[in-house]
Amino acid sequence: MTKIELKGVSYLYGGKTPFEKKALNNINACIEAGSITGLIGHTGSGKSTLVQLLNGLLRPMEGQVLLDGRDIWEKRARMRDLRFKVGLVFQYPEYQLFEETVEKDIAFGPKNMGLSDEEIRHRVADAAKFCGLDQRLLKKSPFELSGGQKRRVAIAGVMAMTPEVLILDEPAAGLDPQGRSDIFGGICEYRRKTGATVIIVSHSMEDIARYCDRVLVMSKGQVWAEGSCDEIFNRADELEAIGLDIPQIARFVRMLKAEGVDLGDNLYTVGEVYRALIPYFKGGDGGAS
Amino acid sequence: MLRDITLGQYFPGNSVFHRTDPRMKIVLTALYIAAVFLADSWWSYLVMVMGAVLIILFSRIPLRIVISGFKAVMLIIVFTAILNIFWTSGDNEPLWSFWKIRIYTEGLEHAGKMVLRLACLLMGTNVLVSYTTSPIALTDGIERLFAPLKLIKLPVHEFAMMMTIALRFIPTLIEETDKIMNAQKARGADFTEGNLVRRVKALIPILIPLFVSAFMRAGELATAMECRCYNGGEGRTRMTVLKTRFTDWLMLIIFIAYGVGIVLIRN
Ligand SMILES: Nc1ncnc2c1ncn2[C@@H]1O[C@H](COP(=O)(O)OP(=O)(O)O)[C@@H](O)[C@H]1O
Ligand SMILES: [Mg+2]
Repeated sequence: MTKIELKGVSYLYGGKTPFEKKALNNINACIEAGSITGLIGHTGSGKSTLVQLLNGLLRPMEGQVLLDGRDIWEKRARMRDLRFKVGLVFQYPEYQLFEETVEKDIAFGPKNMGLSDEEIRHRVADAAKFCGLDQRLLKKSPFELSGGQKRRVAIAGVMAMTPEVLILDEPAAGLDPQGRSDIFGGICEYRRKTGATVIIVSHSMEDIARYCDRVLVMSKGQVWAEGSCDEIFNRADELEAIGLDIPQIARFVRMLKAEGVDLGDNLYTVGEVYRALIPYFKGGDGGAS
Repeated sequence: MLRDITLGQYFPGNSVFHRTDPRMKIVLTALYIAAVFLADSWWSYLVMVMGAVLIILFSRIPLRIVISGFKAVMLIIVFTAILNIFWTSGDNEPLWSFWKIRIYTEGLEHAGKMVLRLACLLMGTNVLVSYTTSPIALTDGIERLFAPLKLIKLPVHEFAMMMTIALRFIPTLIEETDKIMNAQKARGADFTEGNLVRRVKALIPILIPLFVSAFMRAGELATAMECRCYNGGEGRTRMTVLKTRFTDWLMLIIFIAYGVGIVLIRN
């Protein structure tokens, strides 16, 4: 089932000034309900603009954004409800923290929804668990935390609204490997528990390959391609031409193939490649080459 | 949305005024303002308006932009004009009277001149300074023009540096505010509903992150400046050295002639 559909969407920044800039040009795309979609594209290709259109922070100049088949701009009064349904975590969200304690900050969203105190407590506890924030941290001031912890608090703040669609704009940018996998682990956990649709903007092809089912590639304000990881990463040369890459390990597999060692296609994680390589070491010669 | 109210209204281009030395532009603006205030007879007003029109034409700034910058203060101008119409009394019979209100020809004349003068003043200086001079060039010009004041121990360089930094960071702060507002809106914050108390409270989630990041940025900037051995204006050389060219001096002569012309046809 289609959760989100974009129909001929265009967006223009700074209209009628010399700084005018067409950020999105005739975007058509569908996001399947319950999927994890990776959104990739070089810097300035319009990814952040696109995700802000999805929760109504920006209004398309042309075209329509449909959620569950209905235009999100049909009823302007429902805009806030839409924001609770489509949760957006901005790039570097740690700069949005403001409350005295982590707990209160996570509760900001649910409070705006007008939930009961009891319900809010539940939501905060759940969200904190998804993001790996332990009880002790909840009582601290968000300004005392490390960068990675702040990031997780900010993500928890959106998860606490239990949105049906969770969108994250470069959630792991600038984090250490442990921080990255914690965050992605939390996102997957959230999806498993709630069945939400997830969209992740990322520059890391490794992360995309590991966590996403679908990939949407953007280039110069347009959708360049849409497909499964296999379909997209098979076009390595074309991806390179638009300033993108494939996972390093996939590049390694391609190099091996060029040398005559064919491990097979569609291997994008170190684990998969490791398993594919084992026979070669075990059998001394492995068989193929 | 916030972006629309930026202070720096620099409109990039390559007109005569864009190319004029910023120091000279400050002098020209001073001359222009003096000339506008000296005009009094209708003939001198005609010259004044022609001057403003020529400035706008030569700057090649779209009229739409010039007028939109003027709209903001339109209300004040209209208000002063109305006050002038009603509160000026003349020697002759009133033109129109009703109850205690009397309108004299002098009142209308005053109001008309007032509107013209303010319009010329605003549009002319806007075009000469805001639209055609980048903020950085402007503070640079100010620093150099007022450099002699260093002799009487005025911190001209420090002041100019403060202005430059402030101007440089206004767009950044606005962008930041925009971003934080959007982030809080995404969490269901509402800045448009409720009574005054609720609306002021709704600003807290914006102001706190904004102040925190502004202070952090200021600290970082100070460190970065010290890392590059900044220690005030003493002995500092410049990347862009301002040079007045022939056209700058020509411009000065034209503006002086403009002022003198207006003085000559005064009553
Ligand atoms: N607030 C803005 N005002 C003007 N231009 C913008 C703004 N935000 C983004 N842009 C421009 O729109 C284009 C797309 O930006 P963005 O959506 O942020 O790309 P990405 O997230 O893929 O890096 C860029 O060229 C950028 O310069
Ligand atoms: Mg971005």
